[in-house]
Amino acid sequence: MSDSTSYQDLARRYGFAPKLESASRLTQLVARQDSDVDEIVKVINKDAALRDRLLRVANPDAENAAEYSIETVEEALMRNGVGCAMVLAMGTPLALSLIKTFLTMLSLKLESIDRNLAEPLESEHLLGTIGFSGKVVGGVYLRMNLASAQAIAAGILGLSPDEMQDVGEIRDTAGELLNIMTGNFKSNLCDAGLDCKLHPPEVKLSTDSQAPVVPGGGLERMAFRSEKIQLFVDVAANPWNDG
Amino acid sequence: MATKILSVDDSRTIRLIVGKAFRPYEVQLCEAANGEEGLATAAREKPELIILDVTMPVMDGVTMLTKLKEDAELKAIPVIMLTAESGRDNVLQIAKLGVRDYLVKPFKEEQLIEKVGRIVPLQKKPAA
Repeated sequence: MSDSTSYQDLARRYGFAPKLESASRLTQLVARQDSDVDEIVKVINKDAALRDRLLRVANPDAENAAEYSIETVEEALMRNGVGCAMVLAMGTPLALSLIKTFLTMLSLKLESIDRNLAEPLESEHLLGTIGFSGKVVGGVYLRMNLASAQAIAAGILGLSPDEMQDVGEIRDTAGELLNIMTGNFKSNLCDAGLDCKLHPPEVKLSTDSQAPVVPGGGLERMAFRSEKIQLFVDVAANPWNDG
Repeated sequence: MATKILSVDDSRTIRLIVGKAFRPYEVQLCEAANGEEGLATAAREKPELIILDVTMPVMDGVTMLTKLKEDAELKAIPVIMLTAESGRDNVLQIAKLGVRDYLVKPFKEEQLIEKVGRIVPLQKKPAA
């Protein structure tokens, strides 16, 4: 029995959720480095959400699709690079993992929102970071206001927000949230041949909400909201660790 | 008599969630924050089941599992992996070492109880 058959058997036995086809396929293609760009274009065109995000990123000054000067995936790849497309593709499973984590552990429905429409972060906010390094290098960054962090920690531990005053527990919960989100992210990278290791999460108070920069890499910036919580997630990665 | 379970996870959050899940049951829960502590606690407490994280400082879950399976006194203790990582190589390596089940985070408390209940007896505490 091949390793891949064995893995599929185990995944069924353990009840794993299926992985996103476009993210896995795109990561595999990017990991090969010698892939035909036409293959990459085909994969992106099959995933409407990914295609839309790539075009949005390629037209940073446009307010809507009618104003796009770059209208095709090929042009967008030429402008932003294949690495950028991969980072955007990897953002999807990361976003789904975050939404699933909130639904599973907090019974809270998070929605993905346009980052420009989100309420701005308070000057001092909680910043959680997990770096990864290996064949791919980068980081996942989670930011939230302190009230959101307190509400999340209380919800996960089954307490009321007023009972959740321990800053250490609030930080630990934010760190675990990052661990859960990025575990899936890392699994996708490793399965595609981009072996990497996660660094332990770091959670701290920060006043800096600048976009993270990974030399030679791409960036995906996302925002999520529920009734009482707002979160910002950045993914910055260089898929070839050549920065 | 309470079922003795060892939870090995560096996250206090996860240990608290696991503790909350077992609160309605006759379970004696022991805790450890890394593989090294986990091995020492397993040797001392002889739990009936170990719930084990993968990525931990000091000693990770894969190393702890390897050492556990090399120990004649501890190797029969069933292990459930509780981790956010479900990458192919990790899962295959862990399966070869010998685990009874694998639960990917995020998880619902009921999923944990169901998987544990398939391996060791879980008796509800009498209503107060």
